[in-house]
Amino acid sequence: MQHEDLAICGLRVRSDLALPELLPWTADARGVDLVIELGDVPDRVSGAAETHPLIQVSADGTCRFAMPEVAAFLVSPDGRAVTVAPSPGATEADIRVFLLGTVFAIVCQRRGLLTLHACCVRAGSKAVAFAGDSGVGKSTLAARLRARGHALLTDDVTVVDMEAPGGPLVLPTFPRLKLWRDALESLGHTVDGAGAIRPGLDKYQLPLDDGFCNTPLPLAALVRLDGNRKAPEGLRLLDAVQGLGELGKVLYRPRLMLRLGTQARQMAQFLRLLSFVGGLRTLRRPETMAGWSEVEALLPVLAD
Amino acid sequence: MGGFYWIASYPKSGNTWMRLLLASLIDGGAPLDFSRPVGFAPSAASPSDMDLFLDVESSELTPVEQTELRHDLALAVAAATAEPQYRKVHDRWGHSPSGRPLFPPAATLGSIYLVRDPRDVAVSWAHHSGTTLDEAIDFLGRPGAVVAAAGKWRDQFEQRVDSWSAHVASWLAAEPVPLVVAYEALSADPLRVLAQVAIHCGLSASADTLAGAVEATRFARLQQQERIDGFELGQKAGRRFFRRGIAGGWRDTLSHAQANRIVRDHGAMMERLAYDTGV
Repeated sequence: MQHEDLAICGLRVRSDLALPELLPWTADARGVDLVIELGDVPDRVSGAAETHPLIQVSADGTCRFAMPEVAAFLVSPDGRAVTVAPSPGATEADIRVFLLGTVFAIVCQRRGLLTLHACCVRAGSKAVAFAGDSGVGKSTLAARLRARGHALLTDDVTVVDMEAPGGPLVLPTFPRLKLWRDALESLGHTVDGAGAIRPGLDKYQLPLDDGFCNTPLPLAALVRLDGNRKAPEGLRLLDAVQGLGELGKVLYRPRLMLRLGTQARQMAQFLRLLSFVGGLRTLRRPETMAGWSEVEALLPVLAD
Repeated sequence: MGGFYWIASYPKSGNTWMRLLLASLIDGGAPLDFSRPVGFAPSAASPSDMDLFLDVESSELTPVEQTELRHDLALAVAAATAEPQYRKVHDRWGHSPSGRPLFPPAATLGSIYLVRDPRDVAVSWAHHSGTTLDEAIDFLGRPGAVVAAAGKWRDQFEQRVDSWSAHVASWLAAEPVPLVVAYEALSADPLRVLAQVAIHCGLSASADTLAGAVEATRFARLQQQERIDGFELGQKAGRRFFRRGIAGGWRDTLSHAQANRIVRDHGAMMERLAYDTGV
């Protein structure tokens, strides 16, 4: 099965699996960066050092991730190839949730890219990232900003190229937002028009269409959304030590680097990123029209 | 290699009170601060642990996958942490769909099981969940009952509590055997009960520390702090969390018929726990 090549985070992807979330590859005629193939994945990779119920990493860096009854995935040490072995009965939607989540994060780390648990919005010629744990309201904020005319680069995972000449560069993922039913409906959409991300799950995909910014942009600011309703109001800048303490809430799958042995590079990249963006900021999560307006008003300030 | 102390109970049976006692105890008997969320002993059904330790987006797992992976999560957290971990539990003791223990004995340092007269539980549950007393009594008697039904709350997985009787039976037969704490005993003599709990959890505490923790969690004091700073823990919007905090309050709230229905549903287990089943 041969599909046209696709784009994610500036990578040219050739995939046996259909990935309708991704845009087609339209840039230069360079070689393929990432190959996703259907194939056999061994139950054990040789010399796996750590015991983890879902992840095994072999001595040469090959990484196996498996979700029982969905699929097993094998990521090559250079992050250029992923083999997928679907389980009987799994749907392609089931498989894509993990392929574009944990497995893609493994690919990025193997390729030296920094992965933040953040959505990212365009502010002028720059990007502003809003980070935080699942459920804190990143996608809802992204959807609200998009509805107010601000283009989005990423939804849940923000991939940053730390080697770009001008400093940290946000690489756009794909033009979809994932939203729970209540968030979708409060935005005036219906679940009928959006596909559930997995059969039986009450979380849906909202196409971004022209609300997607497909151009990599320099990261200007990193703001952690604080879900604590008792947190002080307003934007606050954390000092370097506090900023480092938030690492686990800002990186995507923060313990993955321990499995992959990439923690030294990821930590160094995170420190450099904080230095580039002038430190980590926090903001109590906006939950009202006034709150979203406040964030919108902050965008030019943050991008400055 | 660390492990867990599970602070387990059917809902509205003194779980939060026990966690606040322990939070203060571990803090040297200091007063509690409700101006920030109480971080001690988060829910064992919280997605954040699973996201962090199993490297997945747990909100994108099916309820069956979530339950299944809770067994793996407990082992992974125990392996990755050195300090004892305290978690709040409302699930019945039991197994994942594939038959693996939800609270693996190998990852368990100990369990505290709080139990309360189901007639008081019913009154408290009705207030907390915003249902009628009769609906609350139905809930206590319902085999297979769940809280945080799939997708209802983003901050907790679905938890199978089962009926009140089945919940108690499951924890009385848990492995390892928990320290059973009756709400009524805790209410009557918190100092003595807390001292037992501390020993069970391997915590050394001076008499002053124990007294400080008891003082910090006197019910009137918790109510006062809730009035000032609020205390949100899943109760229906606008309702107090710390409602009354007394044992036997059902006597002026339940009708004879309602009390009799609870005794009919749960009499055998009530007698096993030495609750007076007379009305």
